[in-house]
Amino acid sequence: MFKSAKYVLQENINNVYRIYSIAKYEILADMRDSNLGLFWNFAHPLIQVLTYWFAFGIVFNRKAITAHGLTVPFIAWLVGGMVVWFFISPCITNGCNAIFSKTNVITKMKFPVSILPATVVLKELFNHACLMVVVICMMMVFGYYPCLQWLELIYYCICACIFAISLSLTTSVLNMLARDVRKMVLACMRLLLYLTPILWEIGRIEESAPRIVVLIMKANPIYYIVQGYRDCFFYHKGFLFYHNSMIAFWVITIALFLFGSYMMYKFKHKFIDLI
Amino acid sequence: MEQEYAIEFNHVSKIYSLKSKDKKNANDKKFYALKDINFKIPKGEVVGILGTNGSGKSTMSIILAGISEVDEGEMIVRGEQALIAINTGLNNQLTGEENIDLKGALLGLNKKRIAEIKQMVIDFAEIGDFLYQPVKKYSSGMKSRLGFSINLALNPDILIVDEALSVGDKGFAKKCIDKMTELKEEGKTIVFISHSLPQVRDFCERAMWIEGGILLEYGDIDEVCDHYAEYVDHLNSLSKKDKKKELDEKFDKRIIPVQKKQGLFGKIFG
Repeated sequence: MFKSAKYVLQENINNVYRIYSIAKYEILADMRDSNLGLFWNFAHPLIQVLTYWFAFGIVFNRKAITAHGLTVPFIAWLVGGMVVWFFISPCITNGCNAIFSKTNVITKMKFPVSILPATVVLKELFNHACLMVVVICMMMVFGYYPCLQWLELIYYCICACIFAISLSLTTSVLNMLARDVRKMVLACMRLLLYLTPILWEIGRIEESAPRIVVLIMKANPIYYIVQGYRDCFFYHKGFLFYHNSMIAFWVITIALFLFGSYMMYKFKHKFIDLI
Repeated sequence: MEQEYAIEFNHVSKIYSLKSKDKKNANDKKFYALKDINFKIPKGEVVGILGTNGSGKSTMSIILAGISEVDEGEMIVRGEQALIAINTGLNNQLTGEENIDLKGALLGLNKKRIAEIKQMVIDFAEIGDFLYQPVKKYSSGMKSRLGFSINLALNPDILIVDEALSVGDKGFAKKCIDKMTELKEEGKTIVFISHSLPQVRDFCERAMWIEGGILLEYGDIDEVCDHYAEYVDHLNSLSKKDKKKELDEKFDKRIIPVQKKQGLFGKIFG
């Protein structure tokens, strides 16, 4: 198991330039596809935020969220969490397809397959960076100005990348064994969005729901990142404040990574026969 | 000094499983794509591989290139091998220049090396001002030239060329053959897979004839080519019914009865 983890790590580190090039030219090709190019990287998430804001903020008339003794307007609070979802969600869906979508490459040349999840995540990271620029501007409009605590965003962003790569390692291999995996993942994405406390504050269920449900919710790795981003924007508690979630996050992520690399190592020469 | 071999095959077999997805003809079986192949290719030799459709040539090429693993037996390769894959990794939206960068990176070259090969690729591909146009605007010949020349830049010890020259026009084929002759003189081992008998006769020194997953003959180029040509003529002269019978017989020989089914969990943890 550790041998395979070492193998995957080594392959990724030795091929940094390959990962960078693949991601770079995929983004470029994507932009060439449309006339407005880069504009859509900003517009797409912006429109989605507006949709959710309209549905929850105006139709359901959700009040400002109070947590950790601080009241934050709903739209600001929503944006602070959704930004993570706009990063993680395509990482999960595309990561699942990472190997299969490169069929023509892996059947025609000797290729380090285990770098493919990283290329997907790197590509999404670029979109994330674009979006972060917009979000930071929005936050300043709402009156939340950048301060030293915002630097923790980098830590949480790295967490998100590592989590996304670990998960994609697993799902992309499983998807090669049975293409049903991708269909299942796609079907479950919306469910995952509502299960993760992104659109609603965890405090809402903390008293009413059974304790075990709350615990599972809090152990959700995506929630750890969402909560981390919000902490950086609004609450400024520091990352040690959430030590329980942090332990859960790293345990889950490392387990996923080990399992994913084990699968990757085991099937590295078999992918071509699985297509 | 003992002769050095670039590639050795010892009792190599490759097995594919045939799965029928519709319930009506549900009989899963396994199938020898290649069966008990033995040969040795000395360093610096140019070998042509002949065979009719479905005889296992392409399987052979991906095994030789190290993309697919053998199921039985062993393959020993001394040196770096590379499969010439012409259109793989070219992105239609990107310009020729960007495609050189991308495909170079896909093949595992570093930044410095890509910069080095760029001029050579541009010269070979003869695409002129199209270099800054998206590849989707290219003619198929131009695209092939671009892909082929990027592949050559890898500079492997063993070159595997699978039907690569059948895409371009005569001029392109000649250019590639010239380039490969150059490589031949540098002492590279080349495995050349083609349907075109004249090309094989011209270019190769020795030939290998695979039929129905079995290595029928490996020897001097003229001898093997003659036998192969005879066989193709023989097949073509047969009536439709006889031909079908012969091909069916050959197919049946390659099938192995399936023993045990393996579920998804068996695959992961087995």
